[in-house]
Amino acid sequence: MSDVSRRWPVAMAGPIARARTLGASIPSAAWTEGILDAPYDAAWPWVADLAMSVPSFDTQVRKVQVVQRAAVDGAEQLRIKATTFGVAVPFDVRLEDGFCLMQARARLYLVLMAAEPHDGGARTRFLHLEAVPLPGTRLLRGHLQRVVDADFRNLVRLAALGF
Amino acid sequence: MDALVRELMPYVGRVCGAIALDRGDDAMQETFISVLRNLRTLREPAALHGWVRRIAVREAIRVARSGREDPTDPTTLVGLTSVAPIDMATVIDVRTTLAGLAPEQRAILVLRDVDGLSEAEAAQLLGVAAGTVKSRLHRARSAFARRWEP
Repeated sequence: MSDVSRRWPVAMAGPIARARTLGASIPSAAWTEGILDAPYDAAWPWVADLAMSVPSFDTQVRKVQVVQRAAVDGAEQLRIKATTFGVAVPFDVRLEDGFCLMQARARLYLVLMAAEPHDGGARTRFLHLEAVPLPGTRLLRGHLQRVVDADFRNLVRLAALGF
Repeated sequence: MDALVRELMPYVGRVCGAIALDRGDDAMQETFISVLRNLRTLREPAALHGWVRRIAVREAIRVARSGREDPTDPTTLVGLTSVAPIDMATVIDVRTTLAGLAPEQRAILVLRDVDGLSEAEAAQLLGVAAGTVKSRLHRARSAFARRWEP
């Protein structure tokens, strides 16, 4: 690489763009994106506390228990159990600043949350996605869209209340 | 899939940023969508890098062509980074020079000077004659030389 080419502009993919990319590549993926009326510095730490945040906005989850936590590649790698419809489902979680990817074991279900500062950090752009990353599941998208829309409405309400 | 995106991000960011400039982020997103949707068609894992390069160059040219050809505005540099610590005046100068080239010329510069491809390899990837690569490269390098050499 020449000295001049080292100074060339480099494109970046922030958390929201990464989330959209993954969503667009999974046929069943449904997501909602919008603005939370809360500062990013308040919103993301609240979201990242999965045991507290997820049961309070996810209509399908009653309880989240963090089983294991480790630092991997500049991110946190968590193992959690999310209790949904009375069943504790194990998830592998990759948690970064503004990006949280939760995959059920055996890749049966995927949940993604991404956030970026908006209005200079005074508010938060947020994306919530859910998917069944298996072949032949495209028809689930309508149902999943209703689920993520309901979750997002809860997030908007909680943000307005200051979490 | 996210692990693949993270691994490819620095390389795709360099290709898309240099070719699509202000729309590099959009080109990067389109590249990854195409890569992930078509990953099953890649039969030889060892060919991944070349396959991704082809998609990134194609998407970056397409996005750059579909965008407006605005003159470079230094304020748009907010949020852009570079692969090495540098001073902003140099970045703006490079960016201004790149903005004066066609997306196809920027693509050839990336393939030759960043990726180190031969003219024949660049021609094959872009689907043009080797002579076309040679002439486009000459014009692109001349544009840089006029700005950078005394």
